[in-house]
Amino acid sequence: MRREPEYQIPRKGLTVWRLYGFIYTFFLSIIAGVLCFFTYKWNWFHIVYYVAIAVVIIVGFALIWLFPKIRWNHWRYEVREQEIEIQSGLFVVKRTLIPMVRVQHVDTTQGPILKKYDLANIAISTAATTHVIPMLITEEADRLRARISELARVAEDDV
Amino acid sequence: MMYKKYKLHPVSAVINFLKGIKELLIPLFLVLIANGFHSNADEANIWEYIPMLVFLAVLILYLISGIIKWLTFVYWFEENELRVEYGLFVKKKRYIPFDRIQSFNYKESIFHRLFGLVEVSVETAGSTDGRPEAVFTAITRDAANIIEKETKKAKVEQKQDDEVAHSVSSEEALQEVRVIHKMSTKDLMLLATTSNSIGVVIAGVAALFSQIVDVIPTDWIMEELSAMIEFGIMFIAVLIFIAFFIAWILSIIITFINYYDFTVVQENDRIIITRGLLERKRFIIPIHRVQGIKIIENPLRQLIQCATVVVESASWGFGKGETNILLFPIISKSEMLNPLKQLFPHLTFELDREFVRPPRKSKPHFYRVYILCALPMVGLCSYFFYPYGLLSIYIVFLIYFLGLWQFQTNGYRIIGNQLILRYRVINCVTFIAEKKRIQVIQRKQHYFQKKKSIATVQATVMSGASGATAKVAHLNESDVDEILSWFERRKEMEKEDGT
Repeated sequence: MRREPEYQIPRKGLTVWRLYGFIYTFFLSIIAGVLCFFTYKWNWFHIVYYVAIAVVIIVGFALIWLFPKIRWNHWRYEVREQEIEIQSGLFVVKRTLIPMVRVQHVDTTQGPILKKYDLANIAISTAATTHVIPMLITEEADRLRARISELARVAEDDV
Repeated sequence: MMYKKYKLHPVSAVINFLKGIKELLIPLFLVLIANGFHSNADEANIWEYIPMLVFLAVLILYLISGIIKWLTFVYWFEENELRVEYGLFVKKKRYIPFDRIQSFNYKESIFHRLFGLVEVSVETAGSTDGRPEAVFTAITRDAANIIEKETKKAKVEQKQDDEVAHSVSSEEALQEVRVIHKMSTKDLMLLATTSNSIGVVIAGVAALFSQIVDVIPTDWIMEELSAMIEFGIMFIAVLIFIAFFIAWILSIIITFINYYDFTVVQENDRIIITRGLLERKRFIIPIHRVQGIKIIENPLRQLIQCATVVVESASWGFGKGETNILLFPIISKSEMLNPLKQLFPHLTFELDREFVRPPRKSKPHFYRVYILCALPMVGLCSYFFYPYGLLSIYIVFLIYFLGLWQFQTNGYRIIGNQLILRYRVINCVTFIAEKKRIQVIQRKQHYFQKKKSIATVQATVMSGASGATAKVAHLNESDVDEILSWFERRKEMEKEDGT
């Protein structure tokens, strides 16, 4: 049995995911509200109310509570001298192994919400693919980015 | 010192123009159709001509721009660089160092061949954005040879500067040319008969037939024939047979046009592939740019012990979608190994030995979910189209047997620094790549897989923009972990290899 990667995403990341879920649910409930309004106005079937409410509740439950929790539990990462290992996923747990030699460049990105929480995403690009470690403390993200690019430069193509 | 500046052949202006027209063809067609609905009106309304006038204007614009591009396009050789300049208002300059040039790919359309011209695209190691670094729309063969010679000469000179002792041998090495594979007429026939596209052609012919059947007074025929039902079946059987036959002939014609005189030549460290009847194409893959090899067998070809060999390359052939290059469109599996070994001496092709297979307990994973997904469909079909809808139950069996077949096929092998993955969706694919060519390996596991401690492994190599992946599902967890640690422990592996 392979050991799981060592580091987890900071607790704040979970909060931000919940916030994203909340925003999404908010917009969805506006749409549902409009739908209910028209149903009321034009005397459509009553079932529309129940469906709309049920959808909002289920989506809200999944996006605000369940999915962030599962995702946060699954997300792990580890940056070693020779490779980067990332574990991610919601229903399917993906374990990705990227050798340092293959790393082409590393980016950090930060939107307004992430900035408020002092978090940042790291994107690691190889020649073919891009892999993200999300929701890292900005300082940690910058440190990691510097470290990866340094290690990537040192790593030799020795195979 | 002034360098001699070369221009393109004048025909390139026309070809630029024609290319423009080709792009316009579909919008033009649409406009014509849209206009067709209104054209029965009597009065000559000026508004109806507006789209046509716009198209005319655009056409003239294309013509002028084609001519301008030809007039302003110059290329020359200076300071070990191939320099290209064109444009009237916006001057575009592109300087390509000779030692950056990976290959020259040639294309000859019928139009080119009329005038003995070729289209040359220059490819460099950096051109992974989907476009060649420079394209010479139409130049004479001699001019193309001059470009190749100039760049090569400079390269050799550089080498001589670097290592004087090896200069003679490098000169000799330039001459080494071997024909690796040539497709015979029989191969072409076989390719056409067993290709997947024959299905598409059959569908096309069937659609055509259904149109024709509308024209033929079928009612009358059916009335005539309904008395003897067996004769009706004969009639349909003959129709189907004719449809198949036409599809087959069409497929052969298409194959001949595309793959006529398909030749693979090895020249030093480069593979040169030429093909085509009307439009000749030649492209070059430097062997060190080959990222992985896929041996693909569709069920029909598996039956006759043949396979298709595809090369995943970091190069771009001609623009998009040609990153996986057909090395052997069809080749018998027994004859395949020798040319492959010749081309890629650093790889081993022991494909007959036993692969590490998924464990028995993972068998249900290959069909269970899909059958569960299919059941509601089958239910609905049976309910709504009652008597015949029940036939849809056979889909379940189909899924089951396909799943079993996938289970039989899947597997992997590790030989030194080389990973071989074998998997099936419908076609059986054997994917071969060296460790140093693999960009990323992923292990995937969902809840039910975790319970049975099995996992899916996926390897990605560079190929075009998004890479090429190979995925083997439902292997033993420990086996997948072994692949991961094989990929991980590069240093230790090397030591083991050394001893």
